[in-house]
Amino acid sequence: MRNLPGLVTVLAVAGVLCALPFLLSDYHVSLAAQVGIFFIAILGLNILTGYTGQISIGHGAFMAIGGYTTAVLSRDHHTNLVLTMVVAFAICFVVGLIVGLPALRLSGVYLALVTFALAISIPQIPLQYSKFLGGSGGVQSSRTVDNLWIYAAAWTASAILFVLAWLILRGRIGRAFRAVRDSEIAAVASGVELPVYKTLAFGISAAYAGVAGSLFVLATNGFAQPSEFDVFLSLELLIGVAIAGLGSLWGILAGAAFVGLLPQISTSVPVIGAEHGRDVVFGAAVILVMLLVPDGFAGLLARLRRLARA
Amino acid sequence: MAFNRRKLGALLGALLVTAAVAGVAGASPQGTPGVSSKQILIGGTFPYTGPAALYKTIPVAEQAWYAYVNAKGGVFGRKINDKTIDDSYNPAQTVPAVKQLVEQDHVFAIVGSLGTAPGLSTWGYLNQRKVPQVLLATGDAYWGNCVHHSCQGSTKPWTMGWQPSYPGEAKLYAKYILKNKPKAKIGVLYQNDAYGKNYLSGLKTGLGSHAGQIVDTESYNVTDPATVVGAHVGAIAAHGADTLVIFATPAASIAALATVPHIPGWNPLTILNNVSANRLFMLTAAKNGATLNGVVSTVYTASSTTQANLPGMKLAKAIIHKYAPALDQSLALGDGNIIYGLASAWTFTDALNHAGKNLTRAGLMHALRSLNEKNNPFIYPGMTVQTSKKRTFPMEQLKIIKWSGGATGDWHATGKIFSGLH
Repeated sequence: MRNLPGLVTVLAVAGVLCALPFLLSDYHVSLAAQVGIFFIAILGLNILTGYTGQISIGHGAFMAIGGYTTAVLSRDHHTNLVLTMVVAFAICFVVGLIVGLPALRLSGVYLALVTFALAISIPQIPLQYSKFLGGSGGVQSSRTVDNLWIYAAAWTASAILFVLAWLILRGRIGRAFRAVRDSEIAAVASGVELPVYKTLAFGISAAYAGVAGSLFVLATNGFAQPSEFDVFLSLELLIGVAIAGLGSLWGILAGAAFVGLLPQISTSVPVIGAEHGRDVVFGAAVILVMLLVPDGFAGLLARLRRLARA
Repeated sequence: MAFNRRKLGALLGALLVTAAVAGVAGASPQGTPGVSSKQILIGGTFPYTGPAALYKTIPVAEQAWYAYVNAKGGVFGRKINDKTIDDSYNPAQTVPAVKQLVEQDHVFAIVGSLGTAPGLSTWGYLNQRKVPQVLLATGDAYWGNCVHHSCQGSTKPWTMGWQPSYPGEAKLYAKYILKNKPKAKIGVLYQNDAYGKNYLSGLKTGLGSHAGQIVDTESYNVTDPATVVGAHVGAIAAHGADTLVIFATPAASIAALATVPHIPGWNPLTILNNVSANRLFMLTAAKNGATLNGVVSTVYTASSTTQANLPGMKLAKAIIHKYAPALDQSLALGDGNIIYGLASAWTFTDALNHAGKNLTRAGLMHALRSLNEKNNPFIYPGMTVQTSKKRTFPMEQLKIIKWSGGATGDWHATGKIFSGLH
């Protein structure tokens, strides 16, 4: 029964999410869908960065791969959009495993640089192969979906992937991930196979980003284009993870809400203004989070809980 | 039990917030969205930041024009309120921004939004909802053609451009080359996207049976650094071209112009597309070592430097000085984008006037398809902004211009006005 409070939390969140479309306007549903999309990406990146201790500044690249998978499959084969998400998951899982290989030799800032290169180079591929991938004219999916569809898809996928993440992290694999994070040498000494678990963490988080990217493109009216996946997107994800902190549903929700809603909020608040509003808020948020709550929203919650008990 | 009660509190709190948000969102307007007896609310997305930020004077000039119109009482007593959002030239930001304008702010129309990819990412959505997407600041052929013909599976009757189509402009360059340098060996530098390819195909069509005179085509990507663009120009010279045609966006065209003098013994006839021929950009190219004399381009707006005495240019100066003084200096240096913004905003208020007091979205589209502006003060004297049901490019006229006076020089128009370019 130890998990009961956690279960109550999850069910409460799920209940609110089910009720939201009946309460919100169509426009606010589209914003809530945006939050769901980033929830998936941040959830995945949290497995890599938070649990396994491997940094990535390049997860926007996996979103690009997932997004283009959906757009191209829909354009050329009229594939069912839900199916394209599954395909995006699989493709990104494999690419993630491959990208995870350098992580075996590199660590810390060097690994960060490799993933950064990924974030810059992947969006160049459509420009190079513009016949197939549309160049900077982009790829338009054959079917577009409305806000409610994306909302339902995003949060259903979130729920499934949340349960999957929970299943992965609670058992052997999760323990191995945490061991790698805390001390690689100690992990190896205890029989954790470093290559397997490092690449696996990359693969899983990339697959999550792929699904997020697929939904991201559907939310952009089914239009995939290189500049949607600029370096800033990868940084946003990383900031989202920093805000989320480790291992808390509320934390990930907070991170996703921050990243998903900020563009709209920053243009609506007159003080911030249209120009550079986003950059200013992001910069300030990063500094504040690092100064005040280095463990993110999850750390803040834990601290509050301790205070309440004392 | 304490634990559960706290959870219950959190849940109730969440529901309360939800209900509050829903309450705010509930109100829905009556009649034509964005139009009241006092105001017309319009919206647009522009690159205030990002790779195309050089264009950011356009929306500022448009808002200056609306402020001027509002100060004179507005259109049928309605003040024009233009809400612009920065999309960094990034479709992933354009879409939520446009959704916000349409679904949250309930704008009457999307007016003047800049960029081909941002436009493509939202035209399906806007046409589905029958929201006018008009006077787009991009010259791709789509914006005129897909009104009647099916493009990407459907027609787009709620979408319209404003400036001359890129293929039409390129056909004029072909005409110029065939007349002035019939034996030209042509090298083309173009941007590797729909924009650059639109131009290139127009040039080939215009050259017709002479298309074989193109000895080299080089494409660059919009994110390439200046050195890469320079290398492409070098390749064009190495192919023996004596005519250089540049179909590029400003940053790349500046790099290309600055490379030419570095190639020994090469002195090609250089043709530069209109979008990059802003005098401000030319002065920057000169600072980077370009020798500009003899460069050929086209124009359809009046010039705030060489035609400063036109009534329209005096008006432009007065409006900018009063409502957007930050742009005073760039206007004095000949920033054509400011005049562009004023001219296209003028067309919008003209259409509003013709759409009448009882303003509807369909009425606006009808007015925009029957434009006949001989009196738009900001376009080149003698040109007309004109549309019909079948011809939906508002501007189809151009005049050839040539640069003289070196690093402190300017564009000078030559020859007649060419019409019917599309």
